[in-house]
Amino acid sequence: MKTLGRSYMVVIFICLYLPIAYLIFYSLNSGGTMTSFDGFTLEHYQSVFTDSRLIVILLNTVAVALVSAGLATLIGIGGAIGLYNIRMKRLKQSLLSLNNVMIVSPDVIIGASLLILFTVLGISLGAFSVIMAHIAFSVPIVVLMILPKLQDMKSSYLDAARDLGASSFDVLWRVIIPHIKPGILAGFFMALTYSLDDFAVTFFVTGSGFSVLSVEIYAMARRGISLEINAISTLVFLVVLVIALGYYFITSRASVKRGGIT
Amino acid sequence: MKSIVSMILAAIGIGALILFGTRFINPVPNEEGNVLHVYNWGEYIDPELLAQFEEETGIRVIYETFDSNEAMKVKVDQGGTNYDVVFPSEYMVEKMVAEDMLLPLDHEQIPNMKNIGDNFLDQPFDPGNTYSLPYFWGTVGVLFHPETTEGLDFSDWDTLWDARLENDILMVDGAREVMGVGLASLGYSQNETDMDALRQAEEKLEALGPNIRGIVGDEIAAMMEVNEAKAAVVWSGMAQDIMWENEALDFTVPEGGSNLWFDTMVIPKTAQNVEGAHQFMNFLLDAENGAQNTEWVGYATPNEAAYQLLDEEVRQDERFYPRPEQQEELEVYRNLGPEMISKYNELFLKFKMTLE
Repeated sequence: MKTLGRSYMVVIFICLYLPIAYLIFYSLNSGGTMTSFDGFTLEHYQSVFTDSRLIVILLNTVAVALVSAGLATLIGIGGAIGLYNIRMKRLKQSLLSLNNVMIVSPDVIIGASLLILFTVLGISLGAFSVIMAHIAFSVPIVVLMILPKLQDMKSSYLDAARDLGASSFDVLWRVIIPHIKPGILAGFFMALTYSLDDFAVTFFVTGSGFSVLSVEIYAMARRGISLEINAISTLVFLVVLVIALGYYFITSRASVKRGGIT
Repeated sequence: MKSIVSMILAAIGIGALILFGTRFINPVPNEEGNVLHVYNWGEYIDPELLAQFEEETGIRVIYETFDSNEAMKVKVDQGGTNYDVVFPSEYMVEKMVAEDMLLPLDHEQIPNMKNIGDNFLDQPFDPGNTYSLPYFWGTVGVLFHPETTEGLDFSDWDTLWDARLENDILMVDGAREVMGVGLASLGYSQNETDMDALRQAEEKLEALGPNIRGIVGDEIAAMMEVNEAKAAVVWSGMAQDIMWENEALDFTVPEGGSNLWFDTMVIPKTAQNVEGAHQFMNFLLDAENGAQNTEWVGYATPNEAAYQLLDEEVRQDERFYPRPEQQEELEVYRNLGPEMISKYNELFLKFKMTLE
């Protein structure tokens, strides 16, 4: 049974990673296609790095992800704590449902409505509108990641802190935030990945020469997948890998520390 | 707990710094700067030409790409960015004109218009080229694998009905394109409005059913690259892209009529730099620039002067530059009005339902 379970897991992981490995492998192909491997080359990476427009787009993508995930997390913390503190059950439920509706509604609809909103408000499309849009669809995810951690928290902690003379700020800063830290981290990294791979919403709100990778790759892929796309995708995959490793180290270090104190 | 909050703040800071830093890699000019917003299909212009245009005129080009006519129209219509030059396909030009989205062109500012071949000017979708000038053009034809289809001659639409092609034909998922195959094989116009003729065409298509492997969209490219099917009815531009990936394939436009499509250049009403837009169009229509661009993009150019500068081999390639007498048979899809279009869609749907 154990070997069966193991081999099942191995098969699943192969299925998950094979396409990415295939893509990375052919990004090093000197032949022009993904059908036969002719020889090793870095020329596709070279052409990516000599195209200053692509480099700017790659940097834009990373920057938008960092800024929007960071701001969304800050807003999400406030939102989650606010939701947690609402006493009226019905109001709480409906607010939570409204939050979840944002997560399940199709990206195309969110994108189109944001485009209308921005143009009505006279906000010109560009870096600002893209970041705002990404914050808009990331906040509900962050809230959903943090809320369970808040609900886990015993209210006696808060009472004890207040009894010992902590101000509201101290309660937030020294009791609540440390407790929900894993939720915050998870929310931040979820927001980061959502921002990196979103196409539908972003397509509507890019403009004024500001573009991100997902939109650019879509337009490029219309005329067939060139190996340049493989090269960029590999670079993005590496960025994500670094982020995932960072997440792993932060969380594992945090749990060791907690273990050491108690 | 400071570390988590400071981590988030650091992320925001780094992101903002990168955003600020990219300005120096590709400086975005200030408000007064002479800039031109160009909105084009992906991979549809030689980037060197953009740099050359900037150098010659001092106008900075802000270049963005789209991947479908419909998506482009939404973005132009909403006006978040005021694009100055846009590249819609011919049917979209007609729609945009109908919705009053385009500025009439000032032909005097585009002297290089004279380079465009007469066959490609004054088309029904834009009489007198009031709003648009052709950028690239193409046809609908058959992409096939010569080795596995030996003995079949695709210069005739009827060859598609050959029993040897059982379950081996792919078709693009477009009512006009598919109905067009039926109409052309019967000798009718691509813009037929006679119901009897349309019904006949649909019946003839039903007989094609056993040969059809699938009616698909952009997946055709991937499927033909790995020889999933022996033949496919596709646009010439798409065929060219696929043939670059899979050299074993060949393309032909069967006789008896086919579609003629254009990608064009237009100026939306919302344009901010109308003069620059004219300059840009004129620049692209220059003979040498046009030839350079055609070599890079690889589609067929309507620019007669640029065509003369192309390699002999390219110019003689009748697959993409059909002989004049065959060009005569090509027809641009006319906007037949909502009623007729829904008839086409209905018949196309009926045909699709008969497929297994």
